[in-house]
Amino acid sequence: MPAKTTATGEPLDAATLRELRAIVGAEHVRHADGDVTPYARDATPLFRARPGAVVHPASTEEVAAVLRLAGARGVPVVPRGAGSNLCSATVPLQGGIVLVLTRLDRILEISAEELLAVCQPGVTSAALADAAAAHGLLYAPDPGSRSVATIGGTVATCAGGLRGLKYGVTRNYVLGLEAVLGTGEVIRTGGRLWKDVAGYDLTRLLTGSEGTLGVITEVTLALLPAPETAGNGLAYFPTLADAGRAVTRVIAAGIVPATLEFLDARCVDAVEQHARLGLRRDAGALLIFGDDGEPAAVAQRLDRMAELCRDTGAIEVSVAGHAAESEALLAARRCTLPALSRLGSITILEDVGVPRPRIAEMVGHIEDIAQRHDVTIATFGHAGDGNLHPTCVIDKGDDAAGERAHDAFGEIFRTAMRLGGTITGEHGVGAAKLPYLTERLGAAQIDLQRRIKAAFDPAGILNPGKAGS
Amino acid sequence: MTGFTPDLLNRCIACGFCLPACPTYALTKDETSSPRGRIDLMRALDEGTLPADDPRVREEASFCLGCRACETVCPAGVQYGDLLEEWRDQQWQGSGRPLVARLLMILVDARWRVRLLGLLRRHARTRGGRPEGPSLMLGCFERALFPKVSRAARRLFPELAAPAAQGCCGALHAHNGDSARGRRMAEELGRRLPGTIVTTSGGCAAHLSSVLGRDRVKELSRYAYERDMPGGAEPSRPAAETPPGGVPAETADRPRVALQDSCHLRNGLDVWREPRAMLERIGTYVELPSAGTCCGAAGTYALVRPRDSRRVLDAKLDEIEAAGVDYVAVVNPGCYRQLDQGLRRRKSRVRAVHLAELLAGERPRRREP
Ligand SMILES: Cc1cc2nc3c(=O)[nH]c(=O)nc-3n(C[C@H](O)[C@H](O)[C@H](O)COP(=O)(O)OP(=O)(O)OC[C@H]3O[C@@H](n4cnc5c(N)ncnc54)[C@H](O)[C@@H]3O)c2cc1C
Ligand code: SF4
Ligand code: SF4
Repeated sequence: MPAKTTATGEPLDAATLRELRAIVGAEHVRHADGDVTPYARDATPLFRARPGAVVHPASTEEVAAVLRLAGARGVPVVPRGAGSNLCSATVPLQGGIVLVLTRLDRILEISAEELLAVCQPGVTSAALADAAAAHGLLYAPDPGSRSVATIGGTVATCAGGLRGLKYGVTRNYVLGLEAVLGTGEVIRTGGRLWKDVAGYDLTRLLTGSEGTLGVITEVTLALLPAPETAGNGLAYFPTLADAGRAVTRVIAAGIVPATLEFLDARCVDAVEQHARLGLRRDAGALLIFGDDGEPAAVAQRLDRMAELCRDTGAIEVSVAGHAAESEALLAARRCTLPALSRLGSITILEDVGVPRPRIAEMVGHIEDIAQRHDVTIATFGHAGDGNLHPTCVIDKGDDAAGERAHDAFGEIFRTAMRLGGTITGEHGVGAAKLPYLTERLGAAQIDLQRRIKAAFDPAGILNPGKAGS
Repeated sequence: MTGFTPDLLNRCIACGFCLPACPTYALTKDETSSPRGRIDLMRALDEGTLPADDPRVREEASFCLGCRACETVCPAGVQYGDLLEEWRDQQWQGSGRPLVARLLMILVDARWRVRLLGLLRRHARTRGGRPEGPSLMLGCFERALFPKVSRAARRLFPELAAPAAQGCCGALHAHNGDSARGRRMAEELGRRLPGTIVTTSGGCAAHLSSVLGRDRVKELSRYAYERDMPGGAEPSRPAAETPPGGVPAETADRPRVALQDSCHLRNGLDVWREPRAMLERIGTYVELPSAGTCCGAAGTYALVRPRDSRRVLDAKLDEIEAAGVDYVAVVNPGCYRQLDQGLRRRKSRVRAVHLAELLAGERPRRREP
């Protein structure tokens, strides 16, 4: 699969640049080659395209003025947070402006009384969670990228995370949004209310819209009281499919724990090289199970899960001694993807989801597909919610292996859909998965999505060529 | 074709996990001033999609502090410090190198000039040529700026030889676009001081270790640790009763002390528990929230880019003053100068002091506000 590099960033015309400078200040508009090169990509391998300009606004008004200008001139605008997405959602494939929201980085309010937070889109997930924790509160969504990903980006991709099974994903926590439409109009959806059915649920529609419907400029999020304690355990299995079966048994036993993450042997090896936690490298798979809540209840559920793992053929089961050990384990798990790059310089990660009882079956198919296409695929994932990340590792410049990986993933997507699953559980469609979207949604839904897009963004300037647009 | 080692450059998968660790990204929120962005610029140079004289590429090679905070958080194991050396080797040739760096490099390039630097400053010294046992590295700037540090180190560890004619370790060259010369200087110093080399400078320790190997080179706190606990016990062990060098364990007044890590010592050599453990012996240790992040001294950075250097420092000074400490200990001469000047400018009562001085029993008076 050769790199998908397009456009060399057609520079914007002088008049447009001048007006942009007048809106956000000269130092926040950059267009020289060196300035914009790092905005040609995000965390997705192979996709690259230089924007014509990079603009860093500092307020909703500035965002609105930029969109009005871009709409009038027909210039594409790609909203961007930290650029950590894995579906090339922020690569400006049609040139134009990359609109970076990282300067909007203030937490405006944390209310213990109302159990909510209000913040600007450029705050990182971890910063918000830390601020909530300081008030004894929990911001539940915790994508692996929490230290870098922005709230705006996680809302726009509806990010999941390591606690999805019990706590759900980002959409379950978005109460209200302020967003600027493609027309430059500012809307406020939802608000501070837990119940509010006035009109269509545009909050949910904007959540996961990947910057194609509006630019999010303020977010109101639901918080929970922080659980008293959290704990994790480890179970090693002969194969990943065995770990998958254990997951099914845990859930069938009526336990809905906070965390059920699994990694195959390759992933364990890579993570151990990075984090040096003393993980066993000779087993076929590792399952991390964890829960939070009252200490006694947590201990009891951990014991029960350990027992179920043993019954399913675990080679070794242990429960982390204290919170710090537990946190180190999860921190290491979050690094799986980058740690895998120790095996080869390009890591292409996918994000299929299947109904939970079919996890073990899907894992088997992935192994089979990898073998038939002669590619190295390491698999890890949020096993508890049926979300798998098969990751192909290839060397830079090995185009033949790239092609084989491409074919293997095509087959993996179709297999997931055949099992009643999806092409992306949490990373989004972007440009990377657009070719498979019609297959997943059907023609009628794709058409409807385009009409919705046109209503929000009649000039078609917002992140063109991504998601449903 | 450029001078990047392909394996180093290919390691980065652009996950962005290094962004929150980077002080210049924190200042600007601009990807191009982040580790991942800089690696992209290096790639563009390597692929020829940006020319070597691109103004932003030049600017970023210089704006980067070289603190290597991005390295320790990188799950992919990208060796950013090495990449930066390769980058500056290409960009900072001849007139491309900042003038201050050029002057300093000339200054320390010859042994006699280094000696001259410290001549009037009464730094520690012992007679004789090539010492047999462990010796104290005097450093080129430390001997001129803070000769009291080497005196304190010798008082602590009288076994250390300190010949004046030892030259410079070459870290300055390595970090300013001449890594080949930097290596040679380290090798020369290694020949002149053939035993264990003890240094009071975290930056020199990291550079020397990368050339001579970790066994040969000990930063002072690490040396104190190993001497105190034979067998190289890990410093997470509770502090022993007898402190190194016979420092009185209980002084009547135990000062409150914070620490500023040396970036290269912490990020390059993973030495950070040791100085903390040492400070706990002589006072009440207070961890600053940003103890592990760069103070803005960053070698020649404070001289080459004084404005940015101060921007990095300012937030830290606020923290130090809020922490209610008597001293902030340093383990590197650059940090010493940076914090000392910063605190003076603010007329703060807090004093910057080298760890060696505190361990040797010195307790500089708090400055009157
Ligand atoms: C190592 C690693 C682990 C990861 N783990 C997880 C995980 O566990 N779960 C998960 O779900 N994802 C994960 N991700 C993917 C990624 O971090 C998430 O998609 C995250 O939500 C992206 O946030 P960001 O700020 O980087 O957004 P960006 O990448 O900058 O943007 C993502 C999308 O959001 C849009 N966008 C950004 N900001 C705004 C805004 N203010 N208004 C409108 N649109 C906007 C962009 O146009 C783009 O379409 C991981 C990524 C990496 C590299
Ligand atoms: S953390 Fe490492 S791999 Fe990830 S972007 Fe930074 S340097 Fe690259
Ligand atoms: S060395 Fe320091 S300043 Fe330079 S990119 Fe890394 S973290 Fe940023």
